[in-house]
Formats: sequence, C-alpha cells, structure tokens
Amino acid sequence: MDFFLGGLTRGLGLLINLDPEVYGIAWLSLRVSLSAVILAALAAVPLGLVIGQKEFLGKRFLVVVFNTLLALPTVVVGLVVYGLLSYHGPLGGMGILYTPWAMVAAQAVLAFPLITALVIAAVITLDNRVGPTALTLGATPMQAAWAVLKEARFAVLAALAAGFGRVITEVGAAIMVGGNIRHYTRTFTTAIALETSKGEFAQGMALGFFLLVVALAVNLASHQLQARWK
Amino acid sequence: MSQALFSLRGVVKRFDQREALNLERLDLEAGVITVVEGPNGAGKTTLLSILALITPPDQGRLFFDGQDLPNSGSQLTAWRRQITLVAQQAYLFDTSVEKNVAYGLRLRGLERAQREDRVGEALAQVGLAEFGPRRAKRLSGGEMQRVALARALVLRPRALLLDEPFANLDPASALVFERVLGELSGQGCTVVLVSHALEQAHRVAQRVVYLRGGRLAPDAGQGPSA
Repeated sequence: MDFFLGGLTRGLGLLINLDPEVYGIAWLSLRVSLSAVILAALAAVPLGLVIGQKEFLGKRFLVVVFNTLLALPTVVVGLVVYGLLSYHGPLGGMGILYTPWAMVAAQAVLAFPLITALVIAAVITLDNRVGPTALTLGATPMQAAWAVLKEARFAVLAALAAGFGRVITEVGAAIMVGGNIRHYTRTFTTAIALETSKGEFAQGMALGFFLLVVALAVNLASHQLQARWK
Repeated sequence: MSQALFSLRGVVKRFDQREALNLERLDLEAGVITVVEGPNGAGKTTLLSILALITPPDQGRLFFDGQDLPNSGSQLTAWRRQITLVAQQAYLFDTSVEKNVAYGLRLRGLERAQREDRVGEALAQVGLAEFGPRRAKRLSGGEMQRVALARALVLRPRALLLDEPFANLDPASALVFERVLGELSGQGCTVVLVSHALEQAHRVAQRVVYLRGGRLAPDAGQGPSA
C-alpha cells in the first residue's frame, strides 16, 4: 500500500513543484499524441464516413478488417514503422528515426484503424435520412457528407478521444521508433518503462499518475466541447 | 392546361430486381396541386424520390421545365435547389428550430439578416413563430412536421413534394398544412403530394394520379376530383 501511496504523493509533488523534466515529458507526450491523432483523423474520419455511408461489395469484409486492426499490437506497429524509417528502409532517407516525428508516425498508424472503425460504427448507426434530407434542401454531396458528420459529432469526438487514449498510453512503438532519448523523445510511457526497469517504482507510479491527470484534462476538454455543441 | 413542370418518359426504377416504378408517360403541370394515390407498395414514395432528384431512375428520362435532367453530376445540385421534398417522417437536424429552417438558405449563401427574416416568415406561416430557439429534437411529431414544412417553404421552391403530409398529424397541424397548400397554389408553386388521408388530400387536390403496382392506373391523370 505504501508503494501506491508513495507513488501518488510523489506524483502530486511533481505536479505541484512544476518539475521541468516531468513537464517536458508531459509536453512532448501531448504534442506527439495530439499530432498523431490529428494526422490519423485526417484520413480516418473521411474514410469512416465513406465506408459507413456507401453500400459496396466487400463493405462487411472491410469493416471486419478495421475491427481486427483494433487489436494491432503496438510493438508490431513499432517494428513496421522502424523498418520503414530505418537507414536501409524505404523511407530511411527522411532521417526521422529516433525523433518525435517517427513517434507521431507510429502512433498515427495505431490510431488510424481505431478512429476509422469507430467513425464507421457512428455513421452506420446514424439515422439514414440525414444525407438525403440535406440533399433535398440543396446540399452538394460534399455538404451532405458534412451534415452527416455534424449529426454524428458526439460519436466522432468520442472516436478521437479513444484514439488519443490509445496512443498516449502505448509504449512499444514509442520506444522502438523514438528510442526513449532524454529531453528529446522520452514520453510518459517510455519514462515509466525506464523507471520501472531501474527499480524506481515510486517514480514510475508518479509518472503514471501524472499521465492520468493529462489524459483526464484532455478528456474534460473534449467533454466541454461536446457540451457546447449540444 | 398549363405547361408541365415535370415530365417523365419511360421511367423505370427497380429495387433488388423488383420493379418499383414503371411510368410510360406522366406530366405534372406547373402551379397545380397533384395528389398521388395508391395502395402501399404502389411506387408513390419512389416517384417522389425520383422527382426530388434523390433517386435516379434505372431507365427513362425526366424533364424539369422542359430540360432533360442528368442522373448525376455537379449540375444536379442546381436543379435540386428548385425542388424540395418533405418526407413522411422528416428528419430534423440535432440543433435549434431556426437553424434547421435556415439550413437550405445557408447553403444558398444568403446573408444572416436575410436568413433571419425569411426563417421568421416561414415559421410564422406554419404557426410556430415563437419556436425558433427551441431544440428541434424535443418537439412533438406534429410540430416537427410543421418545422420540416417551414424548412421547405423558406426556400420558395418551384416544386414542393410532400410524402404523406397528413400522416401522424394532430388536427391543428393538419389544418396548417391544408392552409399552406392553398396559399402555395395561389402563388404558382407546383405541389405533388402522396397521401392516404383521402379526404384531406382531395380537399386540396387539383388533380389526382393513381398508381397501382408502380404503374399508372387506367384512370390516372383524371382531372380534379375536388
């Protein structure tokens, strides 16, 4: 019990004392994860919208594929992105391995199927009169798609929040492509893994507590946004 | 007889190999209230959907104001903006009544002041002048249908298509619909309505068209019955 209480107390201490290293880790974690979610959403939301709205051959199979990809292990994503970005890999010329950009790329790959699957589910369960109603009122197909997205806004926002939750808590891909370099690519999860391996359990707990506070703040912001849209 | 606003020639629509509509020739005159009657599955809603340019026919041609309309493409939206459909159970967007009614005007790029004036007029026309700020999803069924009618009227369409406008309406809302249809007729708007409420429909009808099994019944196109 002391172990948990000690971790909690140290976590609060880090939060209150504005520990620069921990705040640096928090800032990087937020930047990387939010960038990854935005990047993934740019592709996943329109794709989910199209798959959810249109009827085509192989739609069910595609939905099953995206649902399966929800179980994508983070280390496998890390391995693939590492292979792509490593010196001998097809994208090695970009020179972004062991940088925050590599972590953004890996986390975007992780978030993409999750956001896509949840947007598909949101659109499929939405009232199918939305698009035709917009069209009868003079919307272009693009404007009708936007109307569908607006009607599904709460579920879409929840999908983005779930994507954020998935990537800010993952460790496998971040370590593999980021390298856990102090003051550069060290995030909450990689720092927790490091502290635990050093036997610094309380410090790991403290960082874990801080991570939860950050996740809570982001979700509260998302909740506020939903309340404003009501 | 006035010129036809809609002309259908050899229009066929199938769903899963089943023929829902097969109209060799049908003209719907401009400025006339036409009531489409027929049993369930007669193809009435399919006809409205084709006239609203939402469902393209599998075969045949549709003329609007003498123009041969395409089945798809960017020009379709411009044509669609002259026609408005109010569905049997109209969908209202999850926002306020006034934003629902203003939706089509925003798409047409009207300025805010103009939009507000026209939304106010349309809501007053259907007896919901005070309902603007209310949340659309919290209205009764009859109020929702009236908002949907206001949302169509505000666009001042050349053709208004109504699918079962009297279904599930309270008497007060039904009277509003009847009054508005009479006003529209006077303004030269072409109205096509599908209805099972024969008594109410015949009160406003200037022409009645009968559909059976997706085809015009022998007595189709007979003149006004009321």
